[in-house]
Amino acid sequence: MPNVTIDGQTIQVPAGTLVVEAAKPLGVHIPVFCYHPKMQPVGMCRMCLVEVGTPRMDPATKQPVLDENGAPMINWMPKLQAGCATIVSEGMAIRTTTPTVVDARRSVIEFLLTSHPLDCPICDKGGECPLQDHTLHYGPGKSRFYVESKFHNEKSVPLSPLIMLDRERCIQCARCIRFQDEIAGEPVLGFADRGRGLEITTFDDPPFNSNFSGNTIDICPVGALTSRDFRFTARVFELNDHASVCQHCSVGCNINIGERDNTIKRITPRENEAVNEIWLCDKGRFVHHFAHAEERLTTPMIRADTDLKPVSWYEALTFIANRLRPALSEGGAKTIAGLAGDRVSNEDLYLFQKLFREVLGSNNLDHRIGWSQWNAGQELVKNFGAGVGTNLGELGKGTTILVLGADPQNEQPVIRLRLAKAAKQGANLMVANGRVTKLNDSAKQSFVYKYGEEASFLFGILRAFLDGQLEKSERANVDANFALGLNLSVADYAERAGVNADALQQLAANFALSENGIILFGREFMFAMQNEPALEAALNALVVLSGHFGNKNNGVIALYPHNNSMGAFDMGILPNGSAGRNALQDAGMSAKDMLTKAKVLYVMAADPARDDPKFRNPGFMIVQDLFLTETAQKADVVLPAASWAERDGTFTNTERRVQYFQRSLEPMQNARADWEIVQTIAKQLGAQWNYPSASDVMNEITRDVPQYAKMSHERLRVTARRRSSVQTVGGDSAEPVQIALGELFGDMSGVQWATVSETNADAKFEVKFIAPKADGNVAANVPYMAVTRSLLDRGSAIQFSQIVQPRVPNANVEINSHDAEEWNIADGERVKITFEMKPPRVLELNAQVDGTVPQGTIAVANNLQGTENLPMGARVKVTKNV
Amino acid sequence: MFEGLVALVKGMLTTGREMTSPPVTYQYPEVKKPVPPRFRGRHELKRHENGLEKCIGCSLCAAACPADAIYVVPAANQDNERYSPGERYAATYEINLLRCIFCGFCEEACPTGAIVLEHDYELAYYDRRSAIITKEQLLVAPPKPNMGTPRVMPDPGNLYAAIPPIKGGTEPVNIVEMAKAKQ
Repeated sequence: MPNVTIDGQTIQVPAGTLVVEAAKPLGVHIPVFCYHPKMQPVGMCRMCLVEVGTPRMDPATKQPVLDENGAPMINWMPKLQAGCATIVSEGMAIRTTTPTVVDARRSVIEFLLTSHPLDCPICDKGGECPLQDHTLHYGPGKSRFYVESKFHNEKSVPLSPLIMLDRERCIQCARCIRFQDEIAGEPVLGFADRGRGLEITTFDDPPFNSNFSGNTIDICPVGALTSRDFRFTARVFELNDHASVCQHCSVGCNINIGERDNTIKRITPRENEAVNEIWLCDKGRFVHHFAHAEERLTTPMIRADTDLKPVSWYEALTFIANRLRPALSEGGAKTIAGLAGDRVSNEDLYLFQKLFREVLGSNNLDHRIGWSQWNAGQELVKNFGAGVGTNLGELGKGTTILVLGADPQNEQPVIRLRLAKAAKQGANLMVANGRVTKLNDSAKQSFVYKYGEEASFLFGILRAFLDGQLEKSERANVDANFALGLNLSVADYAERAGVNADALQQLAANFALSENGIILFGREFMFAMQNEPALEAALNALVVLSGHFGNKNNGVIALYPHNNSMGAFDMGILPNGSAGRNALQDAGMSAKDMLTKAKVLYVMAADPARDDPKFRNPGFMIVQDLFLTETAQKADVVLPAASWAERDGTFTNTERRVQYFQRSLEPMQNARADWEIVQTIAKQLGAQWNYPSASDVMNEITRDVPQYAKMSHERLRVTARRRSSVQTVGGDSAEPVQIALGELFGDMSGVQWATVSETNADAKFEVKFIAPKADGNVAANVPYMAVTRSLLDRGSAIQFSQIVQPRVPNANVEINSHDAEEWNIADGERVKITFEMKPPRVLELNAQVDGTVPQGTIAVANNLQGTENLPMGARVKVTKNV
Repeated sequence: MFEGLVALVKGMLTTGREMTSPPVTYQYPEVKKPVPPRFRGRHELKRHENGLEKCIGCSLCAAACPADAIYVVPAANQDNERYSPGERYAATYEINLLRCIFCGFCEEACPTGAIVLEHDYELAYYDRRSAIITKEQLLVAPPKPNMGTPRVMPDPGNLYAAIPPIKGGTEPVNIVEMAKAKQ
């Protein structure tokens, strides 16, 4: 740990620290443009020039030479050094306020301004611009150049549908290029030309096609890259920032909603080192227009004759009560069922299940509908969820990460960034899936198993555990039949799974011997788990026998599709589980049964009709949603719900982190928060409920759900430290400026709940063997269809964001080149996919022949134009369309 | 008593003098008092010589306003629908004259000299709503009737700078000469 002296103050910093970083804790500000703490230094802008000296050493004694005051004598380097690229050494002295340094900074600013236009009044960066700030602090104050003498270029060239480039404003710091290169792993930007003609350009087609392109807007230290969505809608200092949580996927990225005039003007990432660092994917950033869509429901409606007609809340509630009471007395609670989407908050879900279990007396509850139908693994999460304090971005040497059947690039984009970062820091990232995903780029070892043979893959690892005596059984109750069940050799299992046996052995050894181990499993793996009970038992055995659970940086993470899928499990939106993840004896109807057996259906924030064309109104149906969805069109009562920005609450992310989000906007006309609607219905039915606010509901959750004890809004609000918005032009206390400057806070927001293995250190866990279902009636030469997901889709939320529409890809089918050859299909050709199902379904798509799917498998994203509701794992026939 | 008489005479003298001097009051509203040149009355939004609006919708006036009386919503200029030079213009510009304290900070903050507090001081309204004056009311008439906005400009390439160039600054500066002159 070298000691360094900066402007007379001494500080001890870890070896390898850069001078700019060492100065921060001392409050010494070294201005930077090209340096960013999340990226490798390049020393391009020269703004961080400082005087650097090292202690003069006595060659004889190898000790610093002291002057008459007893202080070490310093050999000052003859020229200024770049503070961002200089690593501190023992005894180093740094001066940042001397006239040479001040003059150098002034000159750098003046030089940058020679070709920077006088655009501040119309520039969207104005007000949070590091160049503005540094010019005020360190600049010359007066210009020696007239406007005309500046370098000019064509203004505002679209770099992509989302991002506008102004080449005049670019100071050539390459932050955007380096971000795409180092962090996003999608190197699609580059410099073209030289000297003053140097400009940012994209080599991509379609241009700048990255899931993370919006982050370049934040880190651009000038207004060269600006958002085309936010373009000229407000000045940044006019926005009110509200701390919120992104609701597009299960990562739970922290966001700031920039609001003006009760509308969302922009969304920027809010720093949370434990969740999203300072990044946000393009979906989270640009898809918010649905909150103001004209198509939003603004008033309750009831079905009169054949049409839905708008009514008051009073009328709608009376109507509901008048219909529900006879239904309760006639058919009893058994015929009343509730479907809740897993996009709403914990408060909504809790009251929803309370309404059913306590007021209506029914266990017919489920959330596994639509895209969440494959949500699985709740026992694994409950017992072995990644330990409290786990931070994917901090993982490094000594940690093995096994990712099973997941595609985080498209489904949990920021998790992909964090896994790639962990791999870069030395974590042993191992990826196994039935196809190749973007995550494989960062993996140390990757496996492509055969879809349907996931169990063989895990059995192979377990067999290798037993063979190598790698298992740790201190906390395991191993069933006697376990070892007997695994009756094949590793090589046989590997052959079945279609992977290399040696590599599988190595994986097993690496995982077992690693200090920490984390398993992430994604949607494709959960699909397999639902079809194959042996798989969950095998995964359970793998976790228990590896001993990687119950501690920080150990355990499993289930990558669920939606922002609060985890909360839906926690709150007990399940036919066989109550709030707090307790199993129930008298299970109710599951989502599938409800659609055929229920007589009364209450649907909250879900759209089963879109996923199932055969869906019908079972007799009486209440729907509450943002939009008049296909389900709502069939309903008897439609209630307008408030969007996530219009109310407060909590979401639980895929790492079991409960995060609070603020209310940013006024609700649209008569819309109400989901929990509020549930409460009014309960009161209408005679329940004595009294929850004045969402935090009162959360207070009850803290009492009722043991995992959520101590998670009141007050506590969560403290952890979600809200930064002030940008109030003054050039202010340096505001967050976006801080992000751009790279002055980051170690802010952790949200609280993780502890798993059984953590709360009960003595608990022992069963390890069982379940024999896999016999497979073999499927001909090997029939292609298997894997269903993938596109980040930007044709969903209901995204269709209102015009700006991202050009970025939504066209659906195509990925085909292995060998298969393509066999079927005589060339890249880009039109192919016909016939499903072996009744009634027959035919899909016509363009072929994309590349290396991401193995032979015998085709992959189609099922959320694009014309590809809705594709069944995962369908056996299909692929022919050239002629 | 004598002193009292002197005072009375003095007073009457003053009265007599004022009787013969011209009156200080104006017969408002028939006669209007001229205001000093720097008088700060109702705002106006100025135009360039070619009729384009000087306002570029930067909201700096709104940011400077201590009374929060100004509301600006910007938008992007199109080549076939141009309001102002450069990329940006004010789509909405409103001033609440009941809030305005006529301090002139907006004028000072304006980078293009678009907003000027002019000499109109007759600001009375029958209702509060009409005290909010809109861009149409604020904008001065174009120099010629065909120079209104929005319009298609013949040479949009010349209009790209939002901030007009400094007068007399057309020649590039020779830094070497400048440095010599300084010495």
